[in-house]
Amino acid sequence: MIGNVYQTVCPGCNIGCGLYIREDEEGALSIDFMKSSPANEGKLCRFGIKLPEHYSKAVSMVDGAEASIEDAVKAASDKLKGADVTMLNVGNTTSEESLAFKAIADTLGCVVNTGMGVYSELPSECHPTVGVGMSLSDIESAKRIALFIDPYIQYPLVIRRILKAKENGASVVSVGWRNIHLADENKFIDPDKYESELGLDSESVIIADVHPNADPGWVKRMLNLALKTGAKIIFMKPFVNATGVDLLCKGTGQKGLKEIMDGINEGSIKTLVTLDSDLVELMPNSDEAAETLKKLDNLIVIASRDSAVNEIANVVIAAEPQYAKKGSFMNVEGQLLKNNGSGTAGIDALSSLNQNLGGEAMESASLHNKVLEGIIEKITKPKYKELACEVMDIGSMEGAKGNLVFLYNPFMWFDQKDDNDFVMVNLNMAKRLALRKGAMINLTSEGGSVSMRYKVEDMPDGLILTAKKIPAVTEWVATVSTEVV
Amino acid sequence: MVEVGDKLVGYATDDEVRKRGASGGLVTAVLAAALEKGMVESVVVLKHIDEYEAVPIITDDVEEVLASTGSMHSVPVNLAKYAVDRKVAMPGKPCDIKAVIEQSKRNMIDLDNTYLVGLNCGGTMPPVLTKQMLIEMYDIDPEDVVGEDIEKGKLIYRTKDGNEKAISIEELEEAGFGRRKNCQYCQLKIPTNSDLACGNWGVIGDLAGSATFCEVMNEKGKKLIENAVEAGRIEVAPASDKAIAIREKVNGVMVKMGETTQEKVFTQMPDEERLPYYREALADCIDCGGCKLACPVCSCGDDAKCTLFHSLGDNYKMSMFHLVRLLHLSDSCIGCGQCTDVCPVDIPITRIQMSFSIPVQTKLNYKPGMNADEKPPFFEVMIK
Repeated sequence: MIGNVYQTVCPGCNIGCGLYIREDEEGALSIDFMKSSPANEGKLCRFGIKLPEHYSKAVSMVDGAEASIEDAVKAASDKLKGADVTMLNVGNTTSEESLAFKAIADTLGCVVNTGMGVYSELPSECHPTVGVGMSLSDIESAKRIALFIDPYIQYPLVIRRILKAKENGASVVSVGWRNIHLADENKFIDPDKYESELGLDSESVIIADVHPNADPGWVKRMLNLALKTGAKIIFMKPFVNATGVDLLCKGTGQKGLKEIMDGINEGSIKTLVTLDSDLVELMPNSDEAAETLKKLDNLIVIASRDSAVNEIANVVIAAEPQYAKKGSFMNVEGQLLKNNGSGTAGIDALSSLNQNLGGEAMESASLHNKVLEGIIEKITKPKYKELACEVMDIGSMEGAKGNLVFLYNPFMWFDQKDDNDFVMVNLNMAKRLALRKGAMINLTSEGGSVSMRYKVEDMPDGLILTAKKIPAVTEWVATVSTEVV
Repeated sequence: MVEVGDKLVGYATDDEVRKRGASGGLVTAVLAAALEKGMVESVVVLKHIDEYEAVPIITDDVEEVLASTGSMHSVPVNLAKYAVDRKVAMPGKPCDIKAVIEQSKRNMIDLDNTYLVGLNCGGTMPPVLTKQMLIEMYDIDPEDVVGEDIEKGKLIYRTKDGNEKAISIEELEEAGFGRRKNCQYCQLKIPTNSDLACGNWGVIGDLAGSATFCEVMNEKGKKLIENAVEAGRIEVAPASDKAIAIREKVNGVMVKMGETTQEKVFTQMPDEERLPYYREALADCIDCGGCKLACPVCSCGDDAKCTLFHSLGDNYKMSMFHLVRLLHLSDSCIGCGQCTDVCPVDIPITRIQMSFSIPVQTKLNYKPGMNADEKPPFFEVMIK
């Protein structure tokens, strides 16, 4: 921290974009560009630019009433003693806090879930390849790049790496959902043809992503493609410290977000502790998620933001905002990035909680040393064998039906408002539905209906893309009926 | 007795400040004196992090001003917005000063309350690329660098072991390194739009490296110097004719380089190629709004024409955001390069904007950021 300026890392995804957050005399926040940051050279995406809207200060609460952080920790300790506890940390906070959270899990005899259910379906030798991909600068020296993401919407800071690769002579094939400008070829082909038709070899790079709603079959398919072609692969991830949490906290019995919610609904999970992991924001249907969480006997939330889940938690332990924390994050390329805040309220609270539960006290410096040891030791990539996999069938749709596909992005994961309340369709669908300028499309699924603006894109017929969370649709890919409003 | 138009050579009286400052610490001492004598309530300074990074802070602590960093070629920040709504003194490159003046025309900065100490600028460099340049061109570990300078068309780096290495800027830029693109065609090297125009060009003989050449541009500049002398923070003497001539010569060479580059960069494009070119150049835009946020001239805030007519859901082949900005800024763009610096998809926005702005500003005979009393041509009413 320099005066009222914090050097921090954007929480929007796992690229690790450096920036400064400036706090004025009234506490209002603004962005300063950190042009010396190797990950982004000061550049930020739409979410990063809007970070002042993202941050908010959490308040400690016990049973709906404002409380001191000490009382909140004590109340949490009382509720956790003897309970069968499930813990969740998707990676929205520092590695040091994550390690302290893991220590509590050890004290309680449980594991920390990272919400990436896909890991439990992958052999452990694949985890490092999915967990820590490759250097982002290596993308620039690739001869061919295969894109299985939409970088413009999902991970925009990758675009400049791809453009640099093109300047260096690379060709780019996009196997995403819509035709994108930077690709030399846009292919929407059967997954069985990837190996034969994408032209990948050992000088190629595959850019895919993994997230809490990722289809395990799809991830396996990507791993197989890298294995068979010899291409390097990088899995982009949605949370600032997703890689660090994966390396530090991943244990056996990992549960995905959906499994946790199912466990709550079924009654097998009665006590949940979350560390900066708001399931109301993370789940596709926020209202439904809130109702599910209310079924818990105990919901303990350790939060650096004032987000939706805080309102329904039994206990909120409020830590300092992410930008003000002392600690580090690990980005998608395995770089440990320092956050230069001085705040340790989160770590101190986790330490007190651990002590109350019978564990040891912890402090920032020793946790940081353990982070260094833990992370450096674990970055090795064993070889893996071809994986058996099935990939969901996304067939073409005709008439008034379509396959709605979510392009997951930071605004969705944090349920943050954006100018994205539209769906993308191709010209054929626009003609079929006789869409006029200003018309709305009504999408109907089993979960209900929603009306959205539309935008015409060059993309396969029958697909409907959106970058906005739609509560009526809860699957990554879902069939919906369409009509014009 | 100091007069407007005087050309002086001076330095800080405090040995430590003189030693640490870029050229005798005069600028630092003038800013500190303005603060301690109550001319301003705060000073904008760059807080040094390392050789490639510094953070602008606004301080009312004289010691913090005295400890602030000297000039840093690898910190291409624009300081204008830090002066908004403050009674402040600030150092600034010519483009910082231009932006302050444009902000004053938009009623965001009161120039009566703002003291501008301009710094000669041959150009600034992007920090990450500069580190790469040090490794590839200089064979120097970026962490070993302790100082930098530009002299006689060469960029010089000094290292911990006491050595220094110089390479011509021309050679560096041929290899894709060196100054930011907009700096390469910038033609204001001495900030004659500021209150005091300071720098090391023209500092010769025994004083070379330990004094600052300073031109008093207006009454505020005179007040700044007189105040610092009275406070015992600086010593100044008239510059010799030789020193003045050398400063002019260096400036002439730098300006000529800028003019030549501008001619190369902004070639006339056939009409039929213009629309496809701009569409293609802007096609990767992700609508982040970073260019608007970083623009030191823009004062619209959320209530902006460029965002009002634009939506992510639009189907236009070229975004209304950019079309409106190109028009809206064509009279007032100062070419500082901030928009290009922060563009996440590396669109050369400054170059695109300047390809509109140069002909518009030439035709309308308007030089943004130079004269505080001159109304921007597209303004209906000058806000006062």
